[in-house]
Amino acid sequence: MPMSAQQQLLLDLKLEQAPTFENFIVGRNEELLGRLLELKAGRSFDALYLWGGEGCGKSHLLAAAALEIADTRPVLMLDGANVGGDIPAVAGGLIIIDNVEDLGPDAQIALFRVFNAARLIGIAVLLAGRLPPLELALREDLRTRVGQCLIYEVQTLSDHEKSAALRQHALLRGMRLDDGIVHYLLRHGRRDLPSLMAMLNGLDRISLEQKRPLTLPLLRELMQSTLDLKPDESSPV
Amino acid sequence: MNDFWSVCLLCFEKDLPTQQFKTWVKNLRLEECPGNDPLHFRLVSPNRWVMDWVRERCLPQIETLGLEFFGSPVSIELLVERTPETPVVNDSQELLESISPASNTAAKRGDGNSKTNSGDQRFEKSRLNREFTFDSLVTGRANDLARAAAQQVAMNPGVSYNPLFIYGGVGLGKTHLIHAIGNAIYADYPDIEIRYVHAEDYFSDVVRAFQQKSFDKFKQYYRSLDLLLIDDIQFFNKKERTQEEFFYAFNALVEAKKQIVITCDTYPKDIHGLEDRLISRFDWGLTVAIEPPELEMRVAILKKKASVERTVLSDEVAFLIAKNLRSNVRELEGALNRVMAYARFHGREISLEVAKEALRDILGATNRHITMELIQKTVADYYRIKVSEMYSKTRTRAIARPRQVAMWLTRELTDRSLPEIGGAFGRDHTTVLHACRTVGDLRFKDTVMNNDLHVLMQTIRE
Repeated sequence: MPMSAQQQLLLDLKLEQAPTFENFIVGRNEELLGRLLELKAGRSFDALYLWGGEGCGKSHLLAAAALEIADTRPVLMLDGANVGGDIPAVAGGLIIIDNVEDLGPDAQIALFRVFNAARLIGIAVLLAGRLPPLELALREDLRTRVGQCLIYEVQTLSDHEKSAALRQHALLRGMRLDDGIVHYLLRHGRRDLPSLMAMLNGLDRISLEQKRPLTLPLLRELMQSTLDLKPDESSPV
Repeated sequence: MNDFWSVCLLCFEKDLPTQQFKTWVKNLRLEECPGNDPLHFRLVSPNRWVMDWVRERCLPQIETLGLEFFGSPVSIELLVERTPETPVVNDSQELLESISPASNTAAKRGDGNSKTNSGDQRFEKSRLNREFTFDSLVTGRANDLARAAAQQVAMNPGVSYNPLFIYGGVGLGKTHLIHAIGNAIYADYPDIEIRYVHAEDYFSDVVRAFQQKSFDKFKQYYRSLDLLLIDDIQFFNKKERTQEEFFYAFNALVEAKKQIVITCDTYPKDIHGLEDRLISRFDWGLTVAIEPPELEMRVAILKKKASVERTVLSDEVAFLIAKNLRSNVRELEGALNRVMAYARFHGREISLEVAKEALRDILGATNRHITMELIQKTVADYYRIKVSEMYSKTRTRAIARPRQVAMWLTRELTDRSLPEIGGAFGRDHTTVLHACRTVGDLRFKDTVMNNDLHVLMQTIRE
């Protein structure tokens, strides 16, 4: 973006919106959502594995589950890449691990041991990864244990649901969003939700910076200039 | 009469794999029947399982041998040795065939459970899982040897086979079996010290003992056990101190006639990073394998599992699941759970359609397709022959065996029909059928062949 004299400097306050079940656009994931809420009920053994491509909402769901369930049982939430050789397993607790494909060799054994102890001391395990268990490149004794979980593919949203999600997000940011813009985004941009949201956030930013209303020409300009824009990771889905 | 039995033993020793001979035949006893008929014998088995096995696999041959030996037909009566355990054995007779839950057996077991349910601390200390019993284990060709051996050990702990070494691939029920031994022994001898321990946890115990300088306590504990069940011994890989401690515990327990049961993902000679002195000790007792379940057994497992959940599973749905998840029991259970959860949520009966929809979550849309060409190429590479030899006319063993293996794999891993497979190999469907039978039999007898098949399956699935 060329700097201009009139450019408004922004106080870069991001919209803080923690991922919850309420702000998750359910789409075809009703059953999964209900099942996740069941984790709240007991302090007994349970095991779920969610999988799906990037941007389908796995991480949102895991974070939402952690938030929701922390009231009723101890919750430990980890990212696969950061798990070490020991996973502290608390009786009755819930262990959440995102990106299981990133688990290192020691971490895989640690999770394997959690599975072995889980039934005995009532641990619930909630895992997520990009692939179905049959295709996960993990050690076989762990992979089959993941395969024994209750498995859900996180279903991506339909275009209709995506436009609803975009509108909801715009509303939260106080943006006035024209139908034309939503359609254009869905037709011309990358259609996974994080990319769409990032584009929306970018649009909001330049609209404020350049004091221009949210119009299609502005969006086109933005898309032209940010063809390689990475999805903004901080934007809640 | 003794001469006759010696002849029979020699024959069986020659015909059967050593393991089977030791397990089933060696401990049989032939007796003359009181009465006038000199050609009427009694064959006494140590227990019912042995007897059933002998009836099926040995009796015809003994009768043939008798005819040759005496020149006229002999009559043989099968009996079980009278021991205090006999009534238990008889009660559980249905277990052997149990594919559908035998209600009265379950009830009798239930009695045992209520006894164990009394919140006994000793049971808690054993770390046994109550759900894993012989009752809840589905038996088929893939695991009947292992199961029978386990039951023998459960009836005569410390006496029959020590150690009992159970090996098999991932998710085939080794842990189930080892717990079942523990639970059965606990039901009969609630006062003895039983401990189930995963090899990784045993390693942790060693580390802790090391840190806290409490080796004496550690040693004393493990040597005080009457039954040690140790799971996944392959985890001892390169853990020298752990192996040393286990070596001494092992010697002490076996010497004191305390039972040890070990599971592993491979047979003793093939375990990596384990001291030879340990490996050689694993061979002292009996080594039995658990094989991946064949289709029919997978169906039986699914139906049993469903019935535990009080769900009726039709044959077609069970077959659909069993066809799609071939390699282990765990993933089979995962798939069944998904199907049941899906049906419950949508308030629908478990139909073929419902099952297909639910299985999408398990299989994913990108389920890779295994082709016949892929199998032919992989097998040809593995045995270092040319792919063209797969469908050539050559019938030498060096070519024919790999070809049979490839046919068997195609049958196992694809949905192709026998004629289709035959076509791909330039043969007709009866040849394929013969190949499948031959390889199917061989894999239970020939460990090298069995290993080849495992490696090939893995390579093809990758």
